[in-house]
Amino acid sequence: MIDAYRRMMNIEQPPAPKAARGFFTDTSLCIGCKACEVACKQWNQLPADGFAMTGNSYDNTGHLGATTWRHVQFIEQAKANGSGQDQRWLMMSDVCKHCANAACLEACPTGALVRTEYGTVYVQQDICNGCGFCVPACPFGVIDRTPKTGHFEAGTAHKCTLCYDRLKDDMTPACAKSCPTASIQFGEIDELRANARRRLGELQARGESKARLYGMPDGQEAAEVGPLHAFFLLLDEPKTYNLPEVPRLPRKTMAERYGWSAAVGIGFALVGALVFGRRG
Amino acid sequence: MAEGYYDYPVVKRPVWTWEVPAYFWLGGMAAGAYVTASLAQNFGSADDRRVAGGGYYVAAAALVPCAPLLVADLGRPDRFHHMLRIFKPLSPMNLGAWTLTSFTPLAFARAASHAASTGLLRGPLGALARLVPTRLAELAGGVLGLTLAGYSGVLLAATNVPLWARSKLLGGLFMASALASGSAAVTLQAGRGGVPDATLHRLTTIESAASAGEMAILTGYLVQSGKTARPLTTGRFSAPFWLGAVGAGMLLPLLLHRVAGRRHGRALRSLSSAAALCTIAGSLALRWSIFEAGKVSSEDQAASFELSGGAGR
Ligand code: SF4
Ligand code: SF4
Repeated sequence: MIDAYRRMMNIEQPPAPKAARGFFTDTSLCIGCKACEVACKQWNQLPADGFAMTGNSYDNTGHLGATTWRHVQFIEQAKANGSGQDQRWLMMSDVCKHCANAACLEACPTGALVRTEYGTVYVQQDICNGCGFCVPACPFGVIDRTPKTGHFEAGTAHKCTLCYDRLKDDMTPACAKSCPTASIQFGEIDELRANARRRLGELQARGESKARLYGMPDGQEAAEVGPLHAFFLLLDEPKTYNLPEVPRLPRKTMAERYGWSAAVGIGFALVGALVFGRRG
Repeated sequence: MAEGYYDYPVVKRPVWTWEVPAYFWLGGMAAGAYVTASLAQNFGSADDRRVAGGGYYVAAAALVPCAPLLVADLGRPDRFHHMLRIFKPLSPMNLGAWTLTSFTPLAFARAASHAASTGLLRGPLGALARLVPTRLAELAGGVLGLTLAGYSGVLLAATNVPLWARSKLLGGLFMASALASGSAAVTLQAGRGGVPDATLHRLTTIESAASAGEMAILTGYLVQSGKTARPLTTGRFSAPFWLGAVGAGMLLPLLLHRVAGRRHGRALRSLSSAAALCTIAGSLALRWSIFEAGKVSSEDQAASFELSGGAGR
C-alpha cells in the first residue's frame, strides 16, 4: 500500500548511502591563489559579487554567502601578536562545514535541506521557499538567502553543495580539483582524517606548536555540531580564523526554552481560572 | 583590535523584515485573547461570559493578517505551502506553521459559533456554526493558542544570534507579552459597553498578573544576556525598548490598573481602556525592538565568540 502511495505521489526512494565524503582543508599549504574561489564560481555558475576593495590584506571576498561558497582568508600576523615569527601570513580557504549535526538542516521547515547519500548537507532548490531560518541558525555564518529580486535563483537559500552533481559522476569537487598545492583535499572522510593526523604530527615535529585540527570527532568543536565533514588544519586558534570555539547547535537548549515558555502560559491559565472562578 | 578575523561577523545577519515582528505581535495577541476568552467562558460568572464572545471576535480579527504577513516574508511566497509538506516539530518554524494553520480555522469557527448564538450569523452558515462543539474548540484552541504565543520567542532563540540565543527566557518573554496584549484586547472591547465593573476588575487583575510576569521575566532575560543585550538597551533601539516596551507597555499599565482597581463606572472604563492600549502598543514595541536589535547583535563578533565560547556554558 505504501508502495502504491509512493508511486502515486511520485515519491522516489532515497539513494542508498555511500561512504561519507568531505574536504580536508590543510591551511598550512594554502598560498592564497583563490583558484578554489574561481573554480567554484565557474562550475556552479555563481554570479560575481562586484569589485569592492575591503582594505583587509588580499581578501576582497569578505564572507561566504549565497553566491560565494569558497572564501580565502588572509591573516597578517606580526611578532607582536604572538606568532613567534617576525611576520607571517595565514591563508585559509573557508567553506561550508557539512556538519554531522547541521543546525541549518534541523532548522529547515520545508525539508529543502537534506543529508545526501555522501553524508553532505544539500539545499534542494525546488523545495526551499526562502523562509530564511537556516541563515541565522548556522553557527558558522555560511548559508544565506539570495535577494528576492535578484537575477540568480531569487529568494532561496544557497551554500556549498560539495559539488553534489560532480560527486554523482565520481568527479572531484571543483575547488579541490583546482587547488595547486593540495591544500584542499577531497575524499572519503576516514582516509582524510588519517591524512590530517599524519600531517599534524609532521608540522608539530617541525615546531609548529600552535597547529591543530578543527572539526575532528574528538575536538571540543564537535561537542554540539558533531564532527565536520569539511574540516581544517589550522596554524593558530580557531578564533583567528573567525571560527567559534564550540559552535552551538540550537536544538541542544530548545527544550529548556520551550519549558520556560510553557511555564508562563500555564501560570497565566491558572491565574485566569482562579480570578474568574473567585466570584462574589 | 578584534580578536577574530578583522572585525567580520561570525554569523549571518537575519534576512527577515518587519512582517515577522508584526506577525508575532498580532498572532500573540490573537492567541492571548482566545485563551482569556476561553478562561472567562469556562470559569467565569454569567457576566464574565459576556466578554468571551468579544474575545473570540478579537482573536479572529487579529488572525486575519497573520498568514499573509508570514507568506510575504518568504523569499518565495509562491511556495508557502512547502512549510506543510512535512511535519517536523523539531523546527520551530515548521511547528509554528502547523499551529497557525490549525488555530486560525478553529478561532474562526469559535467566533462564528458565538455570532450564531447571538443571532448575528443566520441562515445556513449560522446553522453550520451552531454545530461547532464549543467546549472542544475552547480546549483545543487554548492549547494551540498557547503554542502559537509561546513558539515565536523560541524560534528566534533557536538561532546563533547572540541577543536572541544567549538567555533561555526569550520564549517565556514573548509568551508573557502575548498573553498581556491578548487579555488587554479583551478588556478593550469589553470596556465599550454594558459589562459590569466586577468583570472589568477581574480582567484588569489578570492583565496586571501578565504584565508583572512579563516584567519579571524581562529582568531575568536582561540579567542572563548581560553585555550581549547592549544593542537593545543602548543605542538606536533603546528608546522603543525602554520607553515603548518597558515604560508604556509594562510600568504604565501596572500603574493604571492599580488606580483603576479602586474606581467604578466611567473612570474604570477609561482607565482600563487606556491601560489596555498601552499594553498592546508596548507588546509591538517589545517584539520590534528585540527583533531589530538582534540584527545588530548578529554583527557583533565579540558577542558571538562569547556565546560560543568553550568555558561556562
Ligand atoms: S556549516 Fe552551516 S550551512 Fe554548512 S552544514 Fe553546518 S550549519 Fe549548515
Ligand atoms: S530558507 Fe530554504 S533551506 Fe533555509 S530553512 Fe528556509 S526552506 Fe529551508
